[in-house]
Amino acid sequence: MAKRNRHKKNSSKNKTRRSKTIRAKVKFKKKARQKTINSRAKRRTRHPANLGTGSSTRPGTSKRKAMYSLNQNFEFFSELKSLILKASPAEKDSLIKKISALGKIKLAVISGIFLNSDIESSASATADLFIVGDDIDRNKLRNFLKSLEAEIGREIRFGLMDREEFEYRFGMFDRFIRVLLEGPHEKIINRLGI
Amino acid sequence: MSKKSNQPAKNTLNDLFGSKTRIKILKFLFRNYLSDFNAKDMAKKLQEADIAVNREIKMLVKIGLINKKK
Repeated sequence: MAKRNRHKKNSSKNKTRRSKTIRAKVKFKKKARQKTINSRAKRRTRHPANLGTGSSTRPGTSKRKAMYSLNQNFEFFSELKSLILKASPAEKDSLIKKISALGKIKLAVISGIFLNSDIESSASATADLFIVGDDIDRNKLRNFLKSLEAEIGREIRFGLMDREEFEYRFGMFDRFIRVLLEGPHEKIINRLGI
Repeated sequence: MSKKSNQPAKNTLNDLFGSKTRIKILKFLFRNYLSDFNAKDMAKKLQEADIAVNREIKMLVKIGLINKKK
């Protein structure tokens, strides 16, 4: 009821033209509220940015939040898209610095999203960032990945191994390692001489 | 060497668009553009203040780059 009154107030401000449609909307809303809440919850879980982050969003916290999506009919959509995606997701120098601070890093390989601007080709890479190192500070690593994802605006696929495991897998031509090192990639830190 | 000059530093776009939050939102949108999102979740992902994200979203809706759905 309170909701309806609020809308009435608004509509009286805008004179009569919009009031009819608004009232109709309110009616519809009341009926379909539960339904939209459910479908929103579903939509949220399907959101790719939420994959793998676990319980970053609790269901029900944002039941009245408006949802937004990119308008693909925007005048400069494709131009803007290529401009935004052309920019490298993260500066290499600062990346190297931050990774080095995580522990005794032997190898750091960037691939996928760091190299390819278009989404399709970067999706085929097995990992975006792969690190080999010992004594890695897990908390630092978690914070590093979080801020990197915030910067990039997307989940990054990440792999971590200690030196022993990497050398074993490298020696036996492990599929993951082979695909990563045979595909387009760049070794930003390389203290293993490979 | 030549590769470095081909890849603009991220600061270039920050400066060009005049807002770090704005360029973060745009990157987020274009890298995930097939899906819907809400403002609060996005602010969390981008590690930016809710109010700053809301302001940018309002502006983007106004110029018509993003659609608002109820």
